[in-house]
Amino acid sequence: MSYFLYTAGLVGGTLWAAITPLTATAVETAEHQPQLKFSTHIRPILSRCVGCHGSAEQGGLRLDSREAILRGSSSGPVVVAGDAKQSSLIKMITIGSQSGLRMPLGQNPLTAEQIDLFRIWINNGLPWPTDEPPLAVTDPRLNHWSFQPLGHAPPPAVNQRDWPRTPIDHYILAKHEALSLAPSPEANRTTIIRRLTLDLTGLPPSPEQVARFIDDPAPDAYERLVDRLLASPHFGERWGRHWLDAARYADSDGYETDGPRPIWKYRDWVVCALNSNTTYHDFILQQVAGDLLPETTAHLKTATGFARCGKGGSTPGKRLPITLIDRTNTIGRVFLGLTIGCAQCHSHKFDPISQREYYELFAFFNSSDDQYLEFATPQEKDAHNNHKAETATLQKDLDQYELVLATQLNKDPMLLNSLQQPYDRTILKEILALSPDKLEGSQKAFMRERFREIDEEYRARHEQIESHKAATPVLTKTLILRELPDPPDTHIFIRGVPEQKGPLVEPNVPACLPPLKTTSRANRLDLAKWLCAPDHPLTARVMANRIWQQYFGTGLVETADDFGLNGARPSHPDLLDWLAGKLVQNGYGIKSFHRLIVTSATYRQKSEYRPELQETDPQNRLLARQSRLRLEAEIIRDQGLAVANLLNPRLEGPSAFPYQVDGIMSGRADRSTWKMDTGPARFRRGMYVHSWRLTPHPVMRAFDLPDAAEACTRRLRSNTPIQALTLLNDHWFTEFAVALADRTLRENANQSDTQKIEHMFHVCLARPPTPSELHVLQRLVRQQHDSLEESPERGNQLVQAISLPITSPPVQIAIWSAVSRTLLNLDEFITRE
Amino acid sequence: MNCPFEAAQREESRRTFFAHSGIGLGSLAMATLWDPPATTGQAPRSVTPESLQPRQGHFPATAKNVIYLFMVGGPSHLDLFDYKPQLERYAGQPMPDSYIGKVKFEQIRDSHPLLMPSPWGFSRAGETGRYISNLLPETRKILDELSFIHTVSTEESVHPHAQLLLLTGHRTAGRPSLGSWALYGLGSESENLPGFIVLSSTVVPQAHDGILTSGFLSSIYHGVQLRGSGPPILDLNPPPGITPQENSYVVNAINELNAASLASKGDPEIAARISAYELAFRMQGSAPELVDLSDESQHTLDLYGVDRHQLDRPSFARECLLARRMVERGVRFVQVNLGDWDHHGSIEKGFPPACDQLDRPMAGLVQDLRQRGLLDDTLVIWGGEFGRTPVAQPQKTAPVGRDHLIESFTMWMVGGGVKPGVDLGVTDELGFHAVEDPHHAHDVQATILHLLGLDHTKLTYRYQGRDFRLTDVYGNVMQKLLS
Repeated sequence: MSYFLYTAGLVGGTLWAAITPLTATAVETAEHQPQLKFSTHIRPILSRCVGCHGSAEQGGLRLDSREAILRGSSSGPVVVAGDAKQSSLIKMITIGSQSGLRMPLGQNPLTAEQIDLFRIWINNGLPWPTDEPPLAVTDPRLNHWSFQPLGHAPPPAVNQRDWPRTPIDHYILAKHEALSLAPSPEANRTTIIRRLTLDLTGLPPSPEQVARFIDDPAPDAYERLVDRLLASPHFGERWGRHWLDAARYADSDGYETDGPRPIWKYRDWVVCALNSNTTYHDFILQQVAGDLLPETTAHLKTATGFARCGKGGSTPGKRLPITLIDRTNTIGRVFLGLTIGCAQCHSHKFDPISQREYYELFAFFNSSDDQYLEFATPQEKDAHNNHKAETATLQKDLDQYELVLATQLNKDPMLLNSLQQPYDRTILKEILALSPDKLEGSQKAFMRERFREIDEEYRARHEQIESHKAATPVLTKTLILRELPDPPDTHIFIRGVPEQKGPLVEPNVPACLPPLKTTSRANRLDLAKWLCAPDHPLTARVMANRIWQQYFGTGLVETADDFGLNGARPSHPDLLDWLAGKLVQNGYGIKSFHRLIVTSATYRQKSEYRPELQETDPQNRLLARQSRLRLEAEIIRDQGLAVANLLNPRLEGPSAFPYQVDGIMSGRADRSTWKMDTGPARFRRGMYVHSWRLTPHPVMRAFDLPDAAEACTRRLRSNTPIQALTLLNDHWFTEFAVALADRTLRENANQSDTQKIEHMFHVCLARPPTPSELHVLQRLVRQQHDSLEESPERGNQLVQAISLPITSPPVQIAIWSAVSRTLLNLDEFITRE
Repeated sequence: MNCPFEAAQREESRRTFFAHSGIGLGSLAMATLWDPPATTGQAPRSVTPESLQPRQGHFPATAKNVIYLFMVGGPSHLDLFDYKPQLERYAGQPMPDSYIGKVKFEQIRDSHPLLMPSPWGFSRAGETGRYISNLLPETRKILDELSFIHTVSTEESVHPHAQLLLLTGHRTAGRPSLGSWALYGLGSESENLPGFIVLSSTVVPQAHDGILTSGFLSSIYHGVQLRGSGPPILDLNPPPGITPQENSYVVNAINELNAASLASKGDPEIAARISAYELAFRMQGSAPELVDLSDESQHTLDLYGVDRHQLDRPSFARECLLARRMVERGVRFVQVNLGDWDHHGSIEKGFPPACDQLDRPMAGLVQDLRQRGLLDDTLVIWGGEFGRTPVAQPQKTAPVGRDHLIESFTMWMVGGGVKPGVDLGVTDELGFHAVEDPHHAHDVQATILHLLGLDHTKLTYRYQGRDFRLTDVYGNVMQKLLS
């Protein structure tokens, strides 16, 4: 037990290290001096403060250790060691309660005696005995489930032993059994193959693939199908697009200008990483800090485009606080599943994230610079250089011609009489007094303007050079991060305002999570390693949950972007932990994780509604059936392309410009146009459609394409009449319908109407029609046939409206596109069953 | 309205889907499918068939339709409707000590920020001689009719959360919006247009789609947002060479097949889709006429400030006029967003143009509705997600602005059974807090529902084991506003 005395001589800036030995000896000699005992006098006072001024850091202030007290609040120091009078902390505990500011806020004030003791303590230099630990702050929020280490509850035992196919099913079935529910039977094979093909590749199965699977008697037919689909390069596209939602990917900058940006190489990286069966660990590590890995390559640097996907243009060397805030928030949302962005202006309202901690995370990004990574192939570089050389030659010729003109002018200044545009005559006089080959840059520029006006040939040659310049082949590049050799200081932005700098902070991670494993100043690589460490309680849970959500419609945690105190609790906590545990397992490829889920009996169930479950489980959280999920915007397009036999399966490369409504790009600040692709690029998959943040393609927007303003961890699935109008009348779908009709007619040339309808059903829905469905469509064919009899030329109108090489007779196209349009519009067509 | 599509539909009446009324096949099929078993009595709410069919509220309504002029960013009530002479008197003086700690600023850090009167001044208007900003020359003409709530408060000082709180009753995204609740309670009066339409060409609210979703309610109540540039609704015409009649064959076939699918799968989303196709089909006939403003008289165009030569140019004026056309055609809930109110800095430069955008269209709308007799059963609401501080927000490099104020701000209502000319609530002499009749945003919501004939405590939806409502467990109808 340590005592210390009020000793006027020991005040001021004296360090605690210097005080300790003195107080220890002073105790015995100064018995009659007023005595202050930290544990009995000061600790109880501070303990009244730390509820708010502990880890919650209200106002950026902690009062749980001497060091923290001396550090002060986000507005500055609160104590002057040795001078209570100058210490605002004393003011705060003594100010009149009518001010509404008196601390402890909203509680009884400290007693006069306590205030005196506290004054003495400050005057004394805030001595904090070495054997007195900092105040133990037990923030109950730290007990929140998602901050706890991953649990390892073994899959529970179940009665119905023949149902589970994977450990997943044990967790699911155990709950069913506890509630006396029975899972749904397995979906039939046509549903299964369409579900799996859409889920894993985003494309429909071909009728041949369906037939092969249905007829496959092997016991492992299902597993082989899964393996075939996981090996498809379209797997990376399908799951890459989900990830790009989280990465807030777009091909433009956003904000008012919304200029184009080269970042499709990052999109290619995502697709490639998933296709190469990357591990969860590498997937995160490389995107957060690929540039800092010891063996970094252009490919790994490209991965850091993740940080660069946010809104806002940037110039290398000039970093805008708002883009750094976006990166910090994205890390929080996508990896931690926390709405840490709330702590940008003040400590988080619900979660134990202080404003200081926010800026400590921010500091990781404050030490990186925005860069381009050039990607030119030798051919591209050659073409680029040759083109530039041509421009230079043209310019050189023009320069010579300039000299000729200038010489002429010198001899005959009357030539300038034809000038209409106003100009500075004194400058002209000066120039004419000089020898034409002695002109300086600004003088040359002045004369060029005049030449353009008076000499037609000069003007023509100048324009030729300009257009030649504009046609210079683009050198592929992409946006990346680069660590600054000498990172700037990071300050708290008081109230989130970048201009109002608060205390200095160092890169660090929130205290509610495991600490960083580094001793020196941490950098982004340390952050990346921390995020994907197997003992991180959040990252793997959040990732596993988002993947689960795509397969079942809702995550085990419904609020996929909020695992904090305000978020939902997991429906199956043990399952979530078990899945997360799989992800962090050393060397576990991400495809294995997908395989695990889709081979479960839970996944293989029928999706039909079960009225008897409406009462117990209206939202299907217990998964006693699969869910019907409306397909995403891109996949609706992809399916249309696929069934129409138009799909261009090209995997990589710059974004495409398929058909677009006229005038969609008007009124934009940016001058870019939508130059429609005419070649195969116009039939590329939806994920490659060039995405302007401010001008999304109307079809994509109608089906809830996120606006990429920030990370989207769960898409809306709306169901509106605008969607119906789009599928019914939009140009894209008209093209698909016509091409599907043409394909059907060609592939069933001598077949009956019934067979044609059946063919379309197989192509679009992977199943034959029921008799009543057949009946409806036969009637439609008759109606359409009769309707066209009076004006068969309308078939030509339809065919001419689209630019496709159609081989069938236009009237036949007009008849059969009624059927194909019907199928493309079916709820079943745009739904994964 | 003479609609070729309806003629086509009538021919198809044998198939009955579009024959008459708003009852879609979806709702019929659902009713059959989910008929509660005799033993369990009444079906729980969440499996009750839902439709857009018009229905009675809990008590007779005074308002049939709502036009909500939502001011994105939080306009300064102290420069528009809440005149504070004391601000002029104490201009430039520090905020009094008595307020310290009682105002939650969003960005201001100074402990004693300086009081700032409205740079444009107020003057009296109308017969009642109420004060209104000099920046609203048109609105002063209708001032006598407007009923102000000067003391609305909210808890959220960050834009997206505050927008969600005002429009969905809850700070985070995912709850049904006001318009969706109105449709859920009353259905749609329009067979040919969506019942809840959002117009937002001037701004993308920070809460994005969160303020127009139907949340856990059926998708049929989702807000339909019209496009901000170019044609407001695309794809209203059948593909080239295809007649409306042929399109009706196709839509019939689609819905018949979807109905079969609904019967076997039972997913209410299929019913919602059937309903969407029925509506989409009718919109092909009705929507082009709705958005074509060429039949409006010059008088009307002038009233709103729409340029006859630029009828298609997106603007708040155009959207206010569209809003009137929508309620005329039975659209239940129209929300028109207007942006550019977030004046943290340079308010002197930024505020007048924002008012210019607002003034004439807003006043024109009210006058037009009045002239056409539509104001009797149309409620018009004006307000943002919060107000702004009586003190200036200093800026390092730019002129001052005003910070967010959530403690008390002004909204107004007119029509739809609101007593005209009411001044509800009084703020203190500087405009920081309510001193009389404080009201929360939930009170505004409760009152809107009340005017529509809905009891906000009874309009519930069972979801995840609990009855949800727009006003959560709060909200009081502002009786003093009712006539």
